Amino acid sequence: MSWVERHALGVAAAATAAVIAVMFYLPVGIVLSEAVGIAPGFPPAVSLDAFAEVLSDSFYVGALAGVGADPFAVSRHADNVASWAAAFLAGEAGLPSFGLFGFTAYQALLSTVASVALGLPGAYVLARFEFPGRRTIRSLTILPFILPSIMVAIGFIAMFGRRGVVNDLLATVGLGPIDVMGTLSIVIVAHAFYNAPLVTRVTAAAWESVDARTVETARSLGASRRRAVLDVVAPQLLPAVLTGALLTFVFTFMTFPIVLALGGLRLATVEVWVYNLLGNMNYREAAALATLETALSLALTYAYLRYEARQAAGSRGANPLQRVPLFPSLGALRSPVRLGVLAYAAVVVVVFVGPVLSMVWTSVTGPDGLTLAYYEFLVQRQAEGSAVQTKPWPAVRNSLTFGVATLAVALPMGVAAAVVTTRKFRGRAVVGALAMGPIAVSGIVTGVGLLLGPVFGIPLGGGWRLQVTGATAIVAAHAVAAYPFVTRSVAPLLGRLDPAMVESARALGASRARALVDVELPLVAAGVVAGAAFAFAISVGEFDSTVILAEGSQSYTMPVAVERYRGRRLGPATAMGTVLLVVTSVSFVVIDRLGGRFERG
Amino acid sequence: MVDLRVDAVSKRYGETTALADVSLTIADGEFFTLVGPSGCGKTTTLRAVAGFESPTTGEIRFGDREMTGVPPEDRDVGIVFQSYALFPHMSVAENVAYGLRFRDPPDGQSVDERVADLLDLVDLSGTGERDPSELSGGQQQRVALARALAPNPQLLLLDEPMSALDARLRERLRQQVKQIQSDLGITTLYVTHDQEEALAVSDRVAVMRDGRVEQVGTPQDVYRRPETRFVAEFVGENNVFEGRVAGHAGETTTVTVDGEDLLISRVDATEGESVAFCVRPEALSVVDGAADGSGGDTADGGTLDAPANRLPADVEYAEFLGEAVRVHATWNGRDLVVRLPNEPDDAALTVGFDPRSAHVVEGDR
Repeated sequence: MSWVERHALGVAAAATAAVIAVMFYLPVGIVLSEAVGIAPGFPPAVSLDAFAEVLSDSFYVGALAGVGADPFAVSRHADNVASWAAAFLAGEAGLPSFGLFGFTAYQALLSTVASVALGLPGAYVLARFEFPGRRTIRSLTILPFILPSIMVAIGFIAMFGRRGVVNDLLATVGLGPIDVMGTLSIVIVAHAFYNAPLVTRVTAAAWESVDARTVETARSLGASRRRAVLDVVAPQLLPAVLTGALLTFVFTFMTFPIVLALGGLRLATVEVWVYNLLGNMNYREAAALATLETALSLALTYAYLRYEARQAAGSRGANPLQRVPLFPSLGALRSPVRLGVLAYAAVVVVVFVGPVLSMVWTSVTGPDGLTLAYYEFLVQRQAEGSAVQTKPWPAVRNSLTFGVATLAVALPMGVAAAVVTTRKFRGRAVVGALAMGPIAVSGIVTGVGLLLGPVFGIPLGGGWRLQVTGATAIVAAHAVAAYPFVTRSVAPLLGRLDPAMVESARALGASRARALVDVELPLVAAGVVAGAAFAFAISVGEFDSTVILAEGSQSYTMPVAVERYRGRRLGPATAMGTVLLVVTSVSFVVIDRLGGRFERG
Repeated sequence: MVDLRVDAVSKRYGETTALADVSLTIADGEFFTLVGPSGCGKTTTLRAVAGFESPTTGEIRFGDREMTGVPPEDRDVGIVFQSYALFPHMSVAENVAYGLRFRDPPDGQSVDERVADLLDLVDLSGTGERDPSELSGGQQQRVALARALAPNPQLLLLDEPMSALDARLRERLRQQVKQIQSDLGITTLYVTHDQEEALAVSDRVAVMRDGRVEQVGTPQDVYRRPETRFVAEFVGENNVFEGRVAGHAGETTTVTVDGEDLLISRVDATEGESVAFCVRPEALSVVDGAADGSGGDTADGGTLDAPANRLPADVEYAEFLGEAVRVHATWNGRDLVVRLPNEPDDAALTVGFDPRSAHVVEGDR
């Protein structure tokens, strides 16, 4: 047996660690060092001025600016809080504002509440009722997660915009028009579109793993049906609901394209403002802001991982609760619960199906009825556009190329990380958290770091420079964003395999790598393929870092093209969005056929 | 085939000691069993032999070869786990053939011939094309055995291979395993928590406790001559008495237990020294309670110099086992287990034992 085969797994793990270090932690470190303004010399002089400026600027932190400026004047701050509280109780003062950070957290909180409110009934319906199409709908709940966010934003504009589908419908009955664009409500509904299905999936999975015998035991001990649900079922669902809520908060705290497209700078979140500062070449302030944002979301993600680790991965109950038919007869429709389900279904259609259909509909309708003009625009732009204009075919080609390249990089990385983190060893928790870091860091931060570091070039000494092209940086950013999803698809399946299987193979003469190829990978194939589809879909839909790295180059992708076409008329953007939808849907079909298992992570 | 030496092996995980200075020598072709309660270190020992755990200190030798640092795939051992660990994505024949991807079949056989031979050996001819999941638990375990033996390993390691099977099947399968083992003459290390199974199949047994070896010996040795109180109580049932030597007379020694004098075979201990001894439930028998001091009902007709031991006991409850009755009783506030041919008639009975059936053990550590 060659040295390479014997150490193949170690080599793969080391290569994965190297890629993560150079293409993720190094860029993030560069953003940090940009923010602290490291001056040359030894030891390098570090200045925290940029942070101090952000933290004492009432634009960023609102009422906390005084605290940021002089954090140790505790008694003065306490006096201020006390006098505000007195004024508030006397009805003379309103709630204080906490600036950009406060607003970002506020919209994330509202989005989380909305997502849980919209997601929980779905979990109830999917877990407790049997009806035709239940499995299909259950698997469709993965879809919003992989839909490109910029495309969803276009869909919401097509539906709720001033000349959107909703206003057209209202006009036909003599109502309207309504104008919700640029309001917080529409941003929050769009966030719920993304995250409510996540809440639904994790909660439904927990509900299905509740052992019916625990409920029966409670009933036999004297609990009423309602009381048994409250005492026995609810506590088993709570961890899943909290998991969904915490993830939603992290995701919406880092929100970018939704707010950029639906809210604009008036509703700017931290992430949007970082992007805005970059556009103004204000790297230092952008870096400081991005670092503070990352620190917050890392803390939240760490809390989430700690919490998740304490919840022992609940295995599916051997004896799940029996589902009841949703519509056993026509008369059953009169029951309040079933009427509620129908009303919920209507909301689901409006929120989830509406935007996607509206986008497709808008792409084929013009002022004079049905038209293919917007698609013709794409073809024409391709044929006649100048070199500086964004053409559709390079966007499609780049998206597909980057998608395949991302797959090729993220798949081995994700599998290697899954193998390493399902093993028991000292420091596993630390390695697992480091490997999951990219989930907690926004694409903007990674994009900025890659731009300032490897793309601009890093001198290595001796005349050598580490420099990568924009395209390489985009693939690296996509791979780093995507591989945690490969890991999360593969690791739970890998963890459930009987370790004696690998040990049997090894005792029979297989090296560790050979046992992985011969035994483990065939048995977790569904997870590997689902992870691959995730990686591809995430690459195709990625916007945050791509829009930064593709600036001024020919490396733009479909989501970037959608954003650039959005500028003037909605038509071309919806046409480009529809193309993107088709590509993403194909990935979804693959995920669905092979069983995406994100929620069991 | 080869002999196996485990030499002063310790294994620590942080503060926990899984194995403390374990030494074993297993002869070429021997069927050697590690038995003990869960957590005693028996499986850790087996995994160290297989190469899945590396000892913190000490050595493991296969014949002359020192195995430290040798990965499992280069150790040439066959292993069978409790969970069978068959590869579910391979057919039965592919499972058995898997090890032949890395080692050639013996005697110039082809892979197909070897697989057929092995399936025949475990009585599963003709199942090669089936999926493992189509077989019963006992059949799956035999496939696992055939797979482990196919590359003709120098050692066979069996880790609780019967524990997932029902009692009747377990008895049949263990005899089949024993038969195959002695036909092949393969050195075998067997791990089980079931002392009855250990006694039934092994050439020699090591009883383990808390990461240490308590006693090594033939099944007869550990059953009849347990060296420690733990072995006496773990291997089969036992009644253990603790007392002080009151004196010696001829072939017997008198031991005072809770104020009552009991006679045991003469032991080498000074007066006043504390001793522990055990008496098997089947060595206790009912004697006539009324005829106190008249000599007991001993196994060989009562030719003792001294009167036999008489223990008036209160019956707590009796369990009917079919071939015998197990009576739980108390004597002087101590629990006694007695195995009798029939249910006792009264709530009180007097049991006795021959001094020669008492066996002195080391007390608790």
